[in-house]
Amino acid sequence: MSRKAPNGLRTAGTGAGNPSSSGLPIISSDDMCPVCKTIRYLNKDMEFLINPECYHTMCVNCVNRLFNDGPNQCPYAGCHRTLRRKGFRSAFFGDLSVEREVDIRRRVAAVFNQVEDDFETLRDYNNHLQTVEDLTFDLVSGAEPRRAAAEATLQRWEAEHKAEIERNRRAGREADEQSRRRLAAERDAARHRRAEAVREAEEEKMERERTREAELDSLAQGAEGGGVGGPQRVQLKRRGQAASRAVEAAVGAAVTTAADVGRLSIRGLKEKKRGPAAEGPYDPFGGMDFVPSRYQVRPGLAHPGIDKYRLDPGHVTGGYSFDEHTARAMFEAFAGLGVFIEDEKEVGIGLDAGEVATISAGISAVGDRMELD
Amino acid sequence: MEFNIDDLPVLFPYPRIYPETLDAGGNCVLEMPSGTGKTVTLLSLIVAYQQFYPSHRKLIYCSRTMSEIEKALVELHALMKFRTERLGYEEEFRGLGLTSRKNLCLHPSVKREKSGNVVDARCRSLTAGFVKEKKERGEDVEVCVYHDNLDLLEPHNLIPNGIWTLDGLLRHGEQHKQCPYFTARRMMQYCNVIIYSYHYLLDPKIADRVSKELSKDCIVVFDEAHNIDNVCIESLSTDITEDSLRRATRGAQNLENKINEMRDSDQQKLQDEYEKLVEGLRGADDGRQEDSFMANPTLPDDLIKEAVPGNIRKAEHFVAFLRRFIEYLKTRMKVRQVISETPPSFLAHLKEYTFIEKKPLGFCSERLTSLVRALELTNIEDYQPLQEVATFATLVATYEKGFLLILEPYESDTAEVPNPVLHFTCLDAAIAIKPVFDRFSSVVITSGTMSPLEMYPKMLNFPTVVQESYSMTLARRSFLPMIVTRGSDQASISTSFQVRNEPSVVRNYGSLLTEFAKITPDGMVVFFPSYLYMESIISMWQGMGILDEVWKYKLILVETPDAQETSLALETYRTACCNGRGAVLLCVARGKVSEGIDFDHQYGRTVLCIGVPFQYTESRILKARLEFLRETYRIRENDFLSFDAMRHAAQCLGRVLRGKDDYGLMVLADRRFARKRAQLPKWINQALLDADTNLSTDMAVSSARRFLRTMAQPFRAKDQEGISTWSMTDLRRHQEKMGEERIRELQAERDLEREHEAAAMAAQAAADGRESDYEMDEEDEAQLMALDIPS
Ligand code: SF4
Ligand SMILES: [Zn+2]
Ligand SMILES: [Zn+2]
Repeated sequence: MSRKAPNGLRTAGTGAGNPSSSGLPIISSDDMCPVCKTIRYLNKDMEFLINPECYHTMCVNCVNRLFNDGPNQCPYAGCHRTLRRKGFRSAFFGDLSVEREVDIRRRVAAVFNQVEDDFETLRDYNNHLQTVEDLTFDLVSGAEPRRAAAEATLQRWEAEHKAEIERNRRAGREADEQSRRRLAAERDAARHRRAEAVREAEEEKMERERTREAELDSLAQGAEGGGVGGPQRVQLKRRGQAASRAVEAAVGAAVTTAADVGRLSIRGLKEKKRGPAAEGPYDPFGGMDFVPSRYQVRPGLAHPGIDKYRLDPGHVTGGYSFDEHTARAMFEAFAGLGVFIEDEKEVGIGLDAGEVATISAGISAVGDRMELD
Repeated sequence: MEFNIDDLPVLFPYPRIYPETLDAGGNCVLEMPSGTGKTVTLLSLIVAYQQFYPSHRKLIYCSRTMSEIEKALVELHALMKFRTERLGYEEEFRGLGLTSRKNLCLHPSVKREKSGNVVDARCRSLTAGFVKEKKERGEDVEVCVYHDNLDLLEPHNLIPNGIWTLDGLLRHGEQHKQCPYFTARRMMQYCNVIIYSYHYLLDPKIADRVSKELSKDCIVVFDEAHNIDNVCIESLSTDITEDSLRRATRGAQNLENKINEMRDSDQQKLQDEYEKLVEGLRGADDGRQEDSFMANPTLPDDLIKEAVPGNIRKAEHFVAFLRRFIEYLKTRMKVRQVISETPPSFLAHLKEYTFIEKKPLGFCSERLTSLVRALELTNIEDYQPLQEVATFATLVATYEKGFLLILEPYESDTAEVPNPVLHFTCLDAAIAIKPVFDRFSSVVITSGTMSPLEMYPKMLNFPTVVQESYSMTLARRSFLPMIVTRGSDQASISTSFQVRNEPSVVRNYGSLLTEFAKITPDGMVVFFPSYLYMESIISMWQGMGILDEVWKYKLILVETPDAQETSLALETYRTACCNGRGAVLLCVARGKVSEGIDFDHQYGRTVLCIGVPFQYTESRILKARLEFLRETYRIRENDFLSFDAMRHAAQCLGRVLRGKDDYGLMVLADRRFARKRAQLPKWINQALLDADTNLSTDMAVSSARRFLRTMAQPFRAKDQEGISTWSMTDLRRHQEKMGEERIRELQAERDLEREHEAAAMAAQAAADGRESDYEMDEEDEAQLMALDIPS
């Protein structure tokens, strides 16, 4: 760790940069190596490195020259630290004091890596954050005794809570990994959508071209197409489809409104209009119910009056069930009961006049409705 | 104002619709022809509504520029005068306008400052709470008497009832030695109508301070709102440059010094602030809102109630935090390729390199405000760049969606020297306006050019109760829109990229200009799609001798990006129009001239729109926004671009027709306009005959000649009566008719009566306003000349 104030680093750098004004453009410290005084003007891709031991900058050439043969002393006057080649890296921040601060934070964050959920209350968490921040400050810019104390705290905590730190670290890494994956997925999705949009636009354009070409072709062929050429027909067809869809929608609407308004009680009518999808297996009787309502036919009926027929080969030839015989006899006996001739004459089906009136009103309402739509 | 009376038929659909909207508590989008007095219409209706119902909902009327605000106030004044006469007593009613300190300041030295920011800052240093405290303690500090006099008055009665125009407010302030700005600010809660600029509602940095106390049931009107989406977006976007970062660093440095100073002298104050922050942000926020430095950008409410994160609670910690963030940004700016990234990916990278978490970052702006207050800083303008960075920090941490960071290292593709700009752009106009819709139940968005109306609810993401576009009734065809698609040689003309610089196209445009310059009396305005194109075409015309030809008939004046030069050009233009020399003003469809300046009567008899004013589509920001619109609101790129181009074109066309006794030619010169006809506002589209949609230059000229000849006939006001101006009886008849039709649907009869009265009043008020018209014009002009920029 440097004992100099971080600001001192900066001034040392600029101080070395200044006295190089002999007709050349003024060179900032970013453009000149303070060690070998090479300027960027002479070496376009000069790169500067620092060593986190003391954060003194120098160019790659100098680093190679001085440290390739093993550890050496920092060439800065008054800095007696021993640096190694592998410690050098390029700085992320322009302001090296921030670079140093962030390095320290990296260390601190690796040790105090609890998250909000680890604390009982938000206030506890905030207090903890503040303590950590205080400690970091001591490490970064505190006077020596405070710095040492902070360093000691840090190390003690690290030693005492190894397992916990490790666990948090793993959890943190997982969370990071997850968010990274999410970001990547989002980016992919965006790229995909973009490609899709481009493709769609292309297709649309192609479609337009095709239509136009077709149009031209049909014009060229002239005679047989006449006014209603290919594309127009396509359009007509499309329009036709749209129209039929509209009609369907209208019918649907009409049915529901009629049902709501008129409260028609004919079961069959509603079902038919529901459209083909709702239909079950084919029913030749149109849903008519043949179960007799006025009597019940029991199988295996025994009665002296019919017993003799049971033995009659005329009634029980192959393929006949005798129960059919009785059922039929009963049907014939009851057929016609509950039918009123007068009503039948008027309407033709088994409904009374009032009901018929409602139906026709309902139907006309449906008709109106359709027109409106 | 004169024409308002003509307007009544146009208005008619309203009285019915209006109360419904307000009652239902919904939002609506209305398009009304320009220059037909929609301001007075809206005002009179809303005022009638306000006064009729006991709830007395407040009206917030937002306009764009200061001159528009003043105009609206004058109209309101006339309206109220009329109501008083009509009702026989004066209603308890107060209407105020608010604009920036720069326009309202009375302090002898402060008001002389040029920049609005400096005025704000200096005023704050004279009026902040701690300054007063110091004064009370007997310290020798400078204060503003105008401000302190206010404290002697009753806090809810700083100014008598009535309508106060900005001018009136200034006069009143001068007489009573009270500050007009703070009078308006503090009286906002107690008045019935407030008229101010959009920014006070939309810009979250200001809205929180100024418009916080307005109640939920306010009626909000955005006038001239065709550009509202851009205003919204701009209010949330920031650009960060290397220079601003440098100055932010300096600001942070100053802040640190101040903290050290204060630690030595007045430790207690810092401690107090710290204690408050431990409790939560709002606890720290007990200072008067109007004094605050800069408010936070839309922070979600739950965040505000939460305590400030522990690691930025202490002042020095926070400054170090800011420094780290700024250094990080500086490093990012060194990259030499274009980068665009979403906030989450930015945050991830930030955390990796600086250990700055999302949460404290979100508190940045508010924390800085609190610190600045605690430190009692007076030279606040020094901290502006720092505040910008803090605002950026807060926004980037708050919104995951709808924003994008774009780093552009070079100004243009050909530039050699890097000049990096980090654009933090808002892509979603709905974000800024959402609080407005959330907060107020009735929002009305209106303008002369808002076609297609559906676009606005879609872009701004709000439901509407009413969406209407009103057409115009005219006794005669007072404007002639034409679409010229071919030049005099029958070759089609267009400013599309492939052909725009072809000599034949340029020559055709030139001859179009010359022909119209010949036949147009007085003033003529020409709009180009961009400065770049205007410059190139002008130099080509120069080479072809076209300008010399035009020069014979008219003076030629050009708009430049420089406001000063342009206002000079405008002044000359007006003089030339008035003295009969006639002039051509060449300007840009997206420039200042196209937006704020009217060319009524002789100032503009022809508007020539050369080319469809599309946006510059290569801009990365625009591209990002288009993509966002497509993905989020299902608005296709081309639809948006064409909508945007057409609203600008319509805006340009609307410049010449500011009333019904005005007349003018509107020429759209581009092949592509023929297909975009449907996107013009209804009132223009209606007047555009099918025969006029596909003209060549010579045909256009002959039909323009015919039109101008009919316009030259004397036209008496009487001819208009019953057609485009209605007398009281006409009006009653119409109302009755409409009333019968809808009588069943209208809930109460008195509603009807009320509307009836309102409409009648509008008519009368308009008639009344006629006298005041002349005074107003002069002021107005002066303002226009100054090319006033909304603040
Ligand atoms: S209080 Fe009013 S008059 Fe005084 S400096 Fe501020 S704005 Fe100007
Ligand atoms: Zn070197
Ligand atoms: Zn060293």
